[in-house]
Amino acid sequence: MSKLKEALAGGKFPIVMEINPPKGVDLKGMLAPLQGLNGQVTAFGIPDNEHAKMKLSALAAARLVQEAGAEPLLLMTCRDRNRLALESDLLGAGALGLENILALSGDFVSLGDHPDAKPVYDADSVQLLQIARGLMAGHDSAGLPLKGSPQFCLGAVLIPEADPMAPQLLKIKKKLEAGVDFFISAPIFDLEKLRQFKKLLGPQEVKFLACVKVPKAEEVEQAAQGQHRKVYSLPPEVVQELAGNDPEEVLLKGAALAGRLLRQIREEKLADGVYVKAKGKVELMAKVLEAAGA
Amino acid sequence: MIIAERKPFAEIKDAVAPYEKVLVVGCGTCVAVCLAGGEKEVGLLASQLKLARGQNGKASQIGEITVERQCDLEFIRPLSETVAAYDAVISTACGAGVQFLAALPEMKPVFPALNTTFIGVNEEAGFYTERCRACHQCYLGLTGGICPRTMCPKGLLNGPCGGNIRGKCEVNPDRACAWCEIYAKLEGEGRLGLIEAILPLHAHGRSTTPGTVIHPAYKRRYGAHE
Repeated sequence: MSKLKEALAGGKFPIVMEINPPKGVDLKGMLAPLQGLNGQVTAFGIPDNEHAKMKLSALAAARLVQEAGAEPLLLMTCRDRNRLALESDLLGAGALGLENILALSGDFVSLGDHPDAKPVYDADSVQLLQIARGLMAGHDSAGLPLKGSPQFCLGAVLIPEADPMAPQLLKIKKKLEAGVDFFISAPIFDLEKLRQFKKLLGPQEVKFLACVKVPKAEEVEQAAQGQHRKVYSLPPEVVQELAGNDPEEVLLKGAALAGRLLRQIREEKLADGVYVKAKGKVELMAKVLEAAGA
Repeated sequence: MIIAERKPFAEIKDAVAPYEKVLVVGCGTCVAVCLAGGEKEVGLLASQLKLARGQNGKASQIGEITVERQCDLEFIRPLSETVAAYDAVISTACGAGVQFLAALPEMKPVFPALNTTFIGVNEEAGFYTERCRACHQCYLGLTGGICPRTMCPKGLLNGPCGGNIRGKCEVNPDRACAWCEIYAKLEGEGRLGLIEAILPLHAHGRSTTPGTVIHPAYKRRYGAHE
């Protein structure tokens, strides 16, 4: 059983720290957080060409993380692979002992750095969960038997501030039906919104990691000008605290803020764990953990 | 109908530059309606070519003809004879028409004047929007008459992605999220039950190109027994 699954099952409030696969093969930056923080975090999240920007393969990065002695959480989008590739990568992950998988649709190609690439989406995130469950049960999506089945701990994404909420709840219901072990939220800065969402969701057996993020100066400025266009909001007090500082200062203050949010989420039991996005920078991650008292 | 846009003039002009006598063949159906390749547009293109070639001091002959439909042999067959007096042909049909024309016996080299864009509708004069990906498996009965494969850029079958913001699409914020629209429509009609079940993976095998459809009444004629 993966450490993440064990921590979630045991109510140990796992902390998953997101690292950044490089655009290139220089691994120093990506792996730096492992040496510094491995004892303090349960797993390291590995984005899959995040924001549709081409990076080193998440599957390869997950293996590298594992070889370095840490536990990876492999993010897998439906954007870049058809069902053959998704399944074969899932089998590859299984064979390498990579259990934690987060299924996502994936940001559209036109938002990234290869805007003329063919968007695939042969499966959606619900169907990807079904595919993974099928592999675990010993068959592929064509119904053909496998020689040896992988074991996964399967995650999916939810958006606490979705507007409208009802179509999102339909998707969550389908993800639950497809067989999800845990959810990870979109970044959250406004804990009142998280409280409301939890109430709306009702009691769930499935575990849920809230995402705390170190915001960039750019998005803080956008929020200050009413131009922030994300699936999460920055409340006025956050904007007031961070706006107007130089970019480095915003990151440092943002890390302290993310740490405070983490602590409050844990103390109030607003989630079963957290997923931290700190630009993949070890010094920011350390600052988040320090501010959280972790 | 099929929507198309005319290629930049320079691209068309350069393609037929080696040929002295060029026939511009229009299509009177979809591309005429979307103001890209009907009789009027053929006239305009022919005039542009004549003018451009005249400026270059090149003697040239540019002919014009528009047929009802270039995707129908009945209308294009006579062109095999018409083209005898020309060195090359520019077709202002969609890609289907261009190919059908190019395959005629005795046909001269054929060059497209249009970029075929999509199957769409005429929203208002000169304003066309896509509605159908011709995917061989219509979901519209389940999704309130809004196509998840076409109207959602990701073609998702089981609900919205996480990227929509206040019901607007992550890919184009000026456009509504297709799944938010599907949900609202079915909710308003009390038919949300239609989208509760998980839809399976789409059968792309059916849409392997090039596609063929034989009407049931003609299966015997074409030896396509079921």
